[in-house]
Amino acid sequence: MSRKHDVNKEIENEVYCGTLPVLPKERKYGFIDALLVLSGYCIATWSYTQGSYLATLVGFKQLLIGAFLAAIFMLMVYQLPVIMSVRYGIDIWIWLRSVFGPRGNKIVTIIIIAVNFPWYAVCCELFADSMGNLLGLFGIQLFDGAHLILSLSCVIIGTVIALRGVGTITWTTRILVPLLLLVGVAVVIVGFTSVPMDVIWNYQPELAGDADKTVNYVLSIEANFAFVITLVGGMAEVPRLCKSERSGYYAGVLGQGAAGSFFVVVGAVMAIAMQYVTGKMVDDPTLMMATLSAPILGLSSLLLVAFANIGTQAVGSYIYGVMLKSTFKKSSYKVLVLVLGLYVGLLCVWGKITEYFGSFLTIGACVYAPLAALLFVDFFLIRKQKIDLKSAYEMPGHNAYQYSKGFNIVGIVCLALGFGFTLLVYDPIKGIIHNKILFMLTPTLASFIFTGVLYLLLSRIPGVRRYIRRDTYASPDKRPFDRAKVPPRQNLFFLPLMWLLCRITVSPYKLKIDKHNMEGIKPPFLVYGSHNSFMDFYVTPLALKPYRANYISELEGFENFGEWIYRQAGCLGTRKFINDQSLIRNIARVIKRGDIMVIYPEARYANVGTNSHLAPSIAKLAKMLKVPVVTLNMQGNYLQQPIWNLKERKGARLHADLKCVVTADEIDKLSVDEILSRISKELTYDEYKYQLENKIKIDDEWRAEGLHYPLYRCRKCGKDFAMTSSGSRITCKYCGDSYEMDEYGRLHSGSGETVHIPDWYEWQRGFVHEEIRSGAYRLDIPVRIWALPNAVNFVDCGEGRFIQDNSGFSLEFDNYRSEKHETLKFPAKSMISLHTEYDYRGKYGPCVTLSTYDDTFFIYPTEESREVFNPTKIQFATEYLGGLYS
Amino acid sequence: MDSNSELESRIGEVLKAEKDNSIPRMTKRDYIIAAVIIVISLIGIIGGFFL
Repeated sequence: MSRKHDVNKEIENEVYCGTLPVLPKERKYGFIDALLVLSGYCIATWSYTQGSYLATLVGFKQLLIGAFLAAIFMLMVYQLPVIMSVRYGIDIWIWLRSVFGPRGNKIVTIIIIAVNFPWYAVCCELFADSMGNLLGLFGIQLFDGAHLILSLSCVIIGTVIALRGVGTITWTTRILVPLLLLVGVAVVIVGFTSVPMDVIWNYQPELAGDADKTVNYVLSIEANFAFVITLVGGMAEVPRLCKSERSGYYAGVLGQGAAGSFFVVVGAVMAIAMQYVTGKMVDDPTLMMATLSAPILGLSSLLLVAFANIGTQAVGSYIYGVMLKSTFKKSSYKVLVLVLGLYVGLLCVWGKITEYFGSFLTIGACVYAPLAALLFVDFFLIRKQKIDLKSAYEMPGHNAYQYSKGFNIVGIVCLALGFGFTLLVYDPIKGIIHNKILFMLTPTLASFIFTGVLYLLLSRIPGVRRYIRRDTYASPDKRPFDRAKVPPRQNLFFLPLMWLLCRITVSPYKLKIDKHNMEGIKPPFLVYGSHNSFMDFYVTPLALKPYRANYISELEGFENFGEWIYRQAGCLGTRKFINDQSLIRNIARVIKRGDIMVIYPEARYANVGTNSHLAPSIAKLAKMLKVPVVTLNMQGNYLQQPIWNLKERKGARLHADLKCVVTADEIDKLSVDEILSRISKELTYDEYKYQLENKIKIDDEWRAEGLHYPLYRCRKCGKDFAMTSSGSRITCKYCGDSYEMDEYGRLHSGSGETVHIPDWYEWQRGFVHEEIRSGAYRLDIPVRIWALPNAVNFVDCGEGRFIQDNSGFSLEFDNYRSEKHETLKFPAKSMISLHTEYDYRGKYGPCVTLSTYDDTFFIYPTEESREVFNPTKIQFATEYLGGLYS
Repeated sequence: MDSNSELESRIGEVLKAEKDNSIPRMTKRDYIIAAVIIVISLIGIIGGFFL
């Protein structure tokens, strides 16, 4: 077996084991172990560069505050999500697949490496500086270009070590960390003993004439924020090996915030001491020791620092090589390490990485700050500390994080905007402050806050929330919707926008509104409207203009459009066909404060454009409220978008009649039956009759597609669930009986028979009634159940059993609330009808819903029950058993 | 055991450990301590402006 093969195999094993979740029994690190490992990572020669950079900006006391407090502040915040690494035994790159999508995560990985890897060019520069300076001490002057050759030699040697694989790297690390500690100790001793203590304590930098002390202090804080935040990439592997969340978290904080920061301060002390002695500030520990103590000490330290820089470069190439290999599995580790070596080599050729150290730090933080904010918000506020691990690992059949072809557009856009926001605050290349107020927060913190808030706000938009939370089953929000919450009045600022939206939406359909008996009718009053389609919600506000109103809406609409929007629109949330006393109280509140209350008493869209029977309770409510009753009968809304096919029909024309049917004077005098009779009379409609009488031509070729949902029984062979539809035809799949739907909504058979669609629909109802009366009606099928507890999310309840018989409904399933397998009973007499959908939201297929006070259960057929699950037939049976048609 | 079944088995174990709280969680006290340290650090940073 060749050496090359060994290395590749080792790396592949490392990549494989390096990405799998680490089991609790495999955890190696307690707090001290993790602290030592992470401290070792944070101690590198670049700490001296950071220290000397800070010393050019601020005095020693401010430097101490920045190095320790600023570092700890930022670490305490952005390290919090590492508790997820500990809990699941995964690193942050796995979690980030949920934030960016697996393919988006690959791009982010490349960006991270691009902004992180210049650290290693700093090491190579330091190596070359050390060599040059020491040779200078011995009187040897380097020729032009020698510095580049030295720095490139560091790259080459480091790359060669990295190419030798895990074993060599392990030994390198074992030697490297003690060496760096040794150098650090030597620097501390020499630094603090070679100059008086008060020189260091009272140190103030010599600032240029136009330099601002406050700006310099902010820049030093920014440098510390950036310094700690950009090290997260290399440290991400450690917390998953910790035995407790606390140890992983505090080891990360103190590893960088205490040990790392200590060496930054050491670097600063060294630089200050050198400036005091030589008048020149340097970041090279070798030169300092040779100058401040003895050349022999400098020579010894040269060997240590040289090896330390080469070792750091080697370990960095290895860590990022493995990270790249785990992202790009098909690429060769060797090639990836060589690419990294080439990248550092080019930075060395450029030769200005040390000069632009502060800029490079801030640019790195420009990427890391939004990244850390996204991780923080995603972990704590969006996914609530739960992730679907199978989707994160892209296991077959688990696609919650695939988003848009592997990219989470929302996460990527937030990252890009967060990056851009930093640049709007501060230009790190030219050092120009664009916004001084935000700059005071530091560019890193400003970007962190901006990105976090942006991501959180976006996640509150229902469509975006559904997009990024395809894994709601992993951590659903189970809090029941607050039905008792007092509904706000329709937002006055929102109202003109709403009218504009309504006007735009109805404009293609030439809406005409006629008002009858409305003279002198002012709020408060009660409006009962016909219910045909979502268009009703656009027509009603225009009919009631210039008044504002409140509307009753099923909770599903809150989930779909967002609770905030619905509340501003004046909606009262409820669940269908439950005895909701909170709703009655809220209706009374609306009337009492002088507003209009709009109710769609059928509580469901018309299946075939005809009205449902109305319950006497609506008349009782009117009597109780003692206000005028107005009806709103809307025509054409069903024709424009029937529930069985949600494509919009452009040929539809809309008309609405707003009529006061009971005045305030009459409300006490009329009986419940008389009020109900008046309302029912005005809310009687037949959309196909309206279409024919008004010659409304709907010639879309697909006009009959979906009609088989409400018309499920064959008129010829009498079989249930026999119909199918396509284009403008509805056909029996058993006997072949077929009807063509004409442009005015009538059905024509081949034999010349003309059928009025509502007649066919009601004809079916009679068979269901007969089936129930004969005791033959029973539906007992497997179903798929989703619960809607609130306006936030659905909860997947898995498969269950749905039974409907003469006693009502039974729903048997794993109830997520009790975490038990339960059977919920819905007595027949408790429901006068049922909410049905033929193709829920145009993509989920047919369903019915059953509600308790705290949940609405959306019940879909499984593959096995698809053929016998018909919402229309279930609705017919419910209405008969509930007494609506008895 | 192939890689998928190895992964599935590990995920199952990790989720079980999470449910059983096998890996000690950050407690409310830990979060309070963290919050206090954050506030102290912030006060210190703001204090630095006056030096």
